[in-house]
Formats: sequence, C-alpha cells, structure tokens
Amino acid sequence: MNVATTELTRRFGRTMAVAGVTLDAGPGVYGLLGPNGAGKTSLLRMLATVIPPSSGRIRLLGHDPDIYRQRRQIRRRLGYVPQNLGFYPGFTVVEFVEYFALLKEMPSAEVHRAVAAAVERVGLGDKAKAKLRTLSGGMLRRVGIAQAIVNEPELLLLDEPTAGLDPAQRVAFRALLRDLGQRATVIVSTHLVEDVGAACTQVALMDRGKIVFHGTPDELTARGVGTTAAGDAPLERGYSAVLAETRS
Amino acid sequence: MTATPVTQVPTRPARARRVPLAAAGRLLRLELRRNVMLWMLPIVAALFWLITYRPAMAYPPLWNVRAMTMQTTALAIFVPTVVGVAAWLASREARHGMTDLLSGTSRPRWARQLATWAATTCWALVAYLGCVAVLYAVTARQGAWGGPLWWPAAVGAASLPAFSALGFAAGALRPSRFTTPLVAVAAFLALELTAQFIHGDHSPWQVSPLVAGPWENGADPGVATFYPYLPDLPIVQLIFLTGLTTALLGVLGLPAGSGGRRLRRSAAALTTAGLLAAITATTLAGTGRLDPRGMIAIPALHNPADNRPVPYTPVCSDTPIPICVHPAYSVHLPTVTAALEPVLSELAGLPDAPVRINQTAATYRQESGNGVSISRAGPAMSDTPPTLHILLPIQLARPVATDVLTAELWTNTARDILYNVIGGDRREKTEAQQAVAEAILKTSTLPPGTRTAAAAQRFAALSPAARHAWLTSHVAALRAGQITLAELP
Repeated sequence: MNVATTELTRRFGRTMAVAGVTLDAGPGVYGLLGPNGAGKTSLLRMLATVIPPSSGRIRLLGHDPDIYRQRRQIRRRLGYVPQNLGFYPGFTVVEFVEYFALLKEMPSAEVHRAVAAAVERVGLGDKAKAKLRTLSGGMLRRVGIAQAIVNEPELLLLDEPTAGLDPAQRVAFRALLRDLGQRATVIVSTHLVEDVGAACTQVALMDRGKIVFHGTPDELTARGVGTTAAGDAPLERGYSAVLAETRS
Repeated sequence: MTATPVTQVPTRPARARRVPLAAAGRLLRLELRRNVMLWMLPIVAALFWLITYRPAMAYPPLWNVRAMTMQTTALAIFVPTVVGVAAWLASREARHGMTDLLSGTSRPRWARQLATWAATTCWALVAYLGCVAVLYAVTARQGAWGGPLWWPAAVGAASLPAFSALGFAAGALRPSRFTTPLVAVAAFLALELTAQFIHGDHSPWQVSPLVAGPWENGADPGVATFYPYLPDLPIVQLIFLTGLTTALLGVLGLPAGSGGRRLRRSAAALTTAGLLAAITATTLAGTGRLDPRGMIAIPALHNPADNRPVPYTPVCSDTPIPICVHPAYSVHLPTVTAALEPVLSELAGLPDAPVRINQTAATYRQESGNGVSISRAGPAMSDTPPTLHILLPIQLARPVATDVLTAELWTNTARDILYNVIGGDRREKTEAQQAVAEAILKTSTLPPGTRTAAAAQRFAALSPAARHAWLTSHVAALRAGQITLAELP
C-alpha cells in the first residue's frame, strides 16, 4: 500500500479537523469528496507531510513520515498541489517547475528533460518561457500540476486541482489523472463529483473529519438510486444521499 | 494536458546525493537569475557614485583617503539595500503562499534558504566589487603613489554576507511585507549609531565595519603612507563579520522543519562557533590602542614588521631651499612650493638655515575621550646637512581643499619654518623676532600702532636684497634674542 493511515486525527485548537481516518490506498486514482470543512485539505496536508497528525499512524510509500530520513525519502517520490497554490511571479513556467525538480532532489542531469516533459504534459509547452505573472488562473493551476508531476511521483496529492480549468482542460486533466493512476497513487480532493466519476477508480466521502463512505464511483451512484437526494447527476445524488444518511 | 505516457523520469535519491553540488549549482543559478538584488544594482551604482565616488574624487589621489572613505560611505549604501533585499526574499515563501508547497519538498529548508541568500549576496558582492574596481582604477590612473589598500575593500566585502544574513534571518523568522523596510532602516541606524559609541582607542565598538581607523580621525591622509596600512583592526573586523555571518546562517537552520536532527545540530554548532568568533573579535577590538603611526593596533594580532617604514624616494621642489615631500603627496608639491617659496627665498643662504625641508611622518597620541594629538615624529632640525622636518597641514587627519591648504601653509607652516631659523629655542618670541616674521610673511597679526608693528613695517619696506643682507649678518643675534626693535633697520 502506498498510503496506509490508522485512526488519523488532526486538531487545530479546539477544532477536530480530521477525526480518526483509516485509509489504505494502492496505485489508482482516489477521489476525496466532501462538503466545505469536512477535513479533506487537512488530510491531504498530513499525507503531504506538511503537517504532522495529532494522533494515529501514517505510512507513505512504505516509510514512516515521523522519521526525518524517511520523510525525506517520501518527499522525493511525492507530488503535491495545495488548495491555495502560491507562485513566484517573476519565475517563468520552466524555472518554476525546475525549481521544484531541484527541491525534490532529482538527479541534476535529468532535470532539464523532466521539466520539459512535465510542462508539455500539462499543455504549457508554448508558454514555457512566460513569466508566471502573465498567466491566467487556469494556466497557473496547470503549472502547479506540472511541478507536482515533474518527479514522476509515486504518490500524487491534488487539492482542488481543476479549480479554474476550463471544460476542455478538465477533460484533458482527467485523462492525465487516469494515466498517472496506472502506476502511482493519486488522491484528488474535489467538490466536482463529475471529475470523480470520470477519472477515479475509488472514492471516499468525508464529513466532519471522518470518512463516511469508501467504494467505487458506481457504488456511490448506487447509494442515490431510489432516494430523493438532491443532485443533477446520479453520482451527485449518491453523494447527497450518503451525506444525508450520515447526518440523520 | 495530455495523458500520453512520457519517458519515465525516475527519482534516484542515491545518485542525487552523489551530485549534490551540480544540483546546488543549478539552484543557485536559478536564484541568481531571478534575484531582486539584480534589479537594485543600477540604484546601488547610482548611490555609490553620489555618496562615495564623488566625495572621494574631491580628495587628492591618496590611496589611504580614497580607501578609508570608501569603506565608511559605501557601507551606508550597501547595508540597507542588501538587508532589505535579503529580508524581502526570505519572506517571499510566506508572502506568496508557498509555504505548504515548499514544505512538501525533500531538500531541507535550510539548503533552500542558503541558495537564496547566496544569490542575493553574490549580486551584492558583484556590485560592491565593481564599484571598488572603478574607484581604485580611477585612483590608480590619477597616479596615486603605492598600491591599492585591500583591507578596507575586504572589510566592506565581508560586511555584505553578514548583513545579507541578518536581513535574511529577519525575513525568514518574521515574514511580512513590513519586515523589509523595518529591518533595512534598523540596520542602517544600528550601523551608524554603534560607531557613535566609540570613545577612544580601547572601544570594542571599533569592530563595526564602518571604522577604517581611529574613528575620530575619519579618512586620515596622514596614515598608511610612511608606514604600512595596519591590518590589525581589519583582521578583527573580518573575524567579527565572518562570525556574524556564520551565526546568522546557523540561526536559519535552528527552527523545527529546517532539516533533520543532524542538520539542526550542525546549525546549532555553526551558530555557537559564529557567536564565539564575533565575541572574540569584539573583545579583541576592545584591546586596541592608537599606534603612533596613526592606526589601531591590536596587541594580540600585531606584527612588528608592520612598524617598519615603507621605503620611498622623496619628490623635491626646485626652490632656493628644496622642499621634499613623500611621493604620495607629490600632487600637493606645486601648492606647497607656491605657498612657501617667498619665505624660502628670504631664508636661503642664511647662517644655520636649513639646506632642505623634508616632509616627515606624523606621530599620533590618544588623548582623553575621542581626542587625538598629531605631531611631528622626531626633532624639527637634523644636521649634516641641516634639514628642517615639517608636517604638511594635510597630515593632520583631515583632507583639505587647495585654497585652504595654501592658507594654512602660509599662516602656519611658513611661520614655523621662519621661526625655526630666526626664533631659536625659546617658546616666547622676542618683539624683534615677531617684527621680522611679520615683515617677511607680509601678515598683519600685530596690534596696529605698536612699536613692534612699526618695526615690522619698516623692515618690510626694505628691498629683499637689503633684508637678506641684514639677516645674513644678524640672524645669529636675532635667534639668540639679542636684537631689539630699535636695532631693526
């Protein structure tokens, strides 16, 4: 398993953001759904080794992130796109991605080729020399994805990656996710259930810090059949049905 | 975006470790390309021209004055700039919301920060060394005697990593858009204020990189010409600055998240070693004393070989009594000659008059507080052949303009030379001696209507040949105080 968590919690002051999440994930694309404040971002930040858990255990790519040396090993094989993607406006697309390739300790000789490949892969080849300050929000999001995949990560964590992408870009992005999911564990946190339906092999639904559903998109869809749950699509109705059931 | 599989780009941590320098080099190159300091270079160059270059060029081409002026004034430009830029860059992760993204990367935060700091420092050094090169090249082309003084330039250069580290530490530990202006102004004020705490040659505050010599003397044209530039204080300042740089860079590696336990231990060791070096240097600066040759000597570091005079061939004027100056001051010789020639014409050939006037080295003595007395080293006259040793006004710890120099030569130096010939050893001059001096110098310092003033006018009215003839026969008696006013022709 690339991701194995046991009774993971994370507390911010008096708020329990993540309240005992147990999750196992191997290669594939995992969708992480849930309403605002469900704890998705906190869970992803813990999986990205950005913040430590308050309690519980995590093993990522066979390593314990609590131990510095192992955490470093994990980070070399990790890709992460946070919800609020910052960027250095003066850097070009290539420089920004190269910067992260170097910070992920990629072999120096491989960096140039890997950066070019990552930039091409997110469709920004023609903007490679453009300064980030000149790019649109959607393009910046793609730069964020490029930096995340530049090291061909075995664990890729994406927090709202399709925010700001136009429909065509989202379709392309889903294809990219499916491709990456063939060898890596990709966890995508999103509000957009159609992304999950189109790209994910597994889906988890979080509410109030807990995982309240774990299964395939089809299984989630099935939970909405025959209910009066809100939603324009079958998967949305399944989502709403599970949430309503949990909260009732 | 495309789902087309691309060639696998495996991460190879083991190999990455084998070539850390190549990756660090690429990281540094990237930081160099996008460093804010690069954009500040034209501003820094313009300020250098305005605050350092132009005032330095107003002084005669003396390496000591140019180098010491540069050390003090250039830092006033570079320190706030480099501190501000470093603080700005150190806080950029937080300002741009990059903290999460960067926290998930494997390279230690310390290494990432060091790359940014190194790039900032590199550009600052390039700018500084470029400015120094221009100033020194122009000084050399103006025919300054001797060679460039590298110690002041070295202290200035070593200040930049230290202040860059200071700004960087402030920006990294307190990331905010307000950190930059605050820390830049604070560093400038701190630098300027610490120098104001210097009282005498034993002050530990002399460790400040602004200080190029005895602080109260400023850029002193009288030092480092007859004797070498004493490196004691610069060495202490370099130790201090290196220690400060090391300690501040170490501080960056202390917070949790900067790196692993080993790395943080190394950071703690660096901080401790840096602090110890800085404290040692400050203590050493406190043991300084004003060397008779005008520089600060640190006993623990002093090399007696630096006490030996620098050999030189004097440059002499073509006057009735030749005036010989140190070649470093040869630029002043025409002014000196023009000012003193009338007096020398009157004195040439008189019994016991000097056959040559030599510029001599000054000797310095620390007075109470910040006072320094500067006087001639050795006796005024030496025999075989009779030579008079004088200090030029420019050796009195202040660069002076040509017109001021002329006035001082006439009112002070010419009078000293004259009294050395006609005045004898007595401190109080006789009325006859005063009258003769007044007549030859063509001054009117005597109260009008007095007998002395009348005698001076009478003597001045004589032709130069008549005065010279009278002096030739009476100078011995005049010197001995045996001539009365009535006996003056």
